[in-house]
Amino acid sequence: MKAADFSYHEATNIQDAINIKAKDEEAVILAGGQSLLPALNMRLSSPSCLIDISKISGLDDIKIDGDYLFIGALATHSHVMKNELVLKRMPCLIDILKMVAHPAIRNKGTHGGSIAYGDPAAELPALAVATNAEIIVSGQNGDRSIHAKDFYLGLFETAINQDEIVIGIKYPLLKQEQAILFEEVCRRHGDYAMAGLIANVNKIGNKVNDLSLVYFATGDKPDSADKTAKLYLENGYDYSNLKNSLNSEIDFAGDLNSSSEMKLHLATILIKKVLNKLEA
Amino acid sequence: MTANNTSNISFTVNGEKFNNVNVPSRQHLADYLRSQGLTGTHLGCEQGACGACTIEMDGKAVRSCLVLASQANGSDLKTVEGFDDQMMEQVKQSFLKHNAFQCGFCSPGMLMTTKEILLSKKKLTRDEIRSEISGNYCRCTGYQSIVDAIEECINEIN
Repeated sequence: MKAADFSYHEATNIQDAINIKAKDEEAVILAGGQSLLPALNMRLSSPSCLIDISKISGLDDIKIDGDYLFIGALATHSHVMKNELVLKRMPCLIDILKMVAHPAIRNKGTHGGSIAYGDPAAELPALAVATNAEIIVSGQNGDRSIHAKDFYLGLFETAINQDEIVIGIKYPLLKQEQAILFEEVCRRHGDYAMAGLIANVNKIGNKVNDLSLVYFATGDKPDSADKTAKLYLENGYDYSNLKNSLNSEIDFAGDLNSSSEMKLHLATILIKKVLNKLEA
Repeated sequence: MTANNTSNISFTVNGEKFNNVNVPSRQHLADYLRSQGLTGTHLGCEQGACGACTIEMDGKAVRSCLVLASQANGSDLKTVEGFDDQMMEQVKQSFLKHNAFQCGFCSPGMLMTTKEILLSKKKLTRDEIRSEISGNYCRCTGYQSIVDAIEECINEIN
């Protein structure tokens, strides 16, 4: 459980980090390191160089930016959970972060790190896709914004170019009639989910008139289930119909804790669990 | 530990200054601390799951197996060896009284997490205490006695 050899560079500013990353395709960015370091310790990856961006100042802002809530890449989960703007404008994020590991890990783990790492079992990538968030990256040609739904390409694979670094995430501010609902099933609090669901709901009273469903811990990236959401809107909750639809729409990948059949079952009942929260 | 790449760093541990020490870049902080005789920081899983290596870094509890020694450059660290203030003495007495130590392997991490709970000044219920310590495994006590000790600390200290 010791990492293989790599060099370590403490970046002084974003440009410094971009320059090094652009030159070395085996270098990786170290933000909080709470997913990266376990992977290195287990030798699941062995980069040539870690570019530590955690000491760059000004990357942990949380602010309103037009119609968006902007969260700087280096804001730690603990910091986000205690933030007044998040509490007022996106309280669902606090409930979601409570399920991300444990306090000591949330003290170090960062928002941008979780988004950029792209673990298919993590909550934040699915939240970004479900809320139509924009991921802001900075590179040699300046900054650009990537739609979250175009950001996740495959297992730990994202649309970030070699010379680019995630600097922040922009979540569209929630509208009056909109709700973000969240539920996951895990063996113990703080573990990765066996399956989880984030629903973006438009409602009139308690009636759902628009719905999108994004799953995590089901496949190789956040899995959108648009056809299944449409089916729910048309016919309501019908276990077998929705299960068949999910099975045709998502390539469920089993893991040590749960088979693909179990994930399919959990994904189906999560629709009911999540939407029941509307009535609560 | 042999390594081609090293970093030169300075930091403070329990008030003692470590200046310009050379560490292998790949070495995590827990291994470095233990190599300096600070073996109160325990290593269980080395993947952030068990919580035995939890220490205080710049006032916050962190997993020292998930922080590189290099990243501690400029930081102020506290390990279980430095828990000698009045509040932590009281916490240790409470753990003793409730038999919350048993084998002692999880204790440094449990004490660290307890410290963070007490500093937050929150009046936690027993369920909330369980949630706060969910990142620290204990294989002996069944947690009951640890929750008893932390509950007493919250009532008496905060």
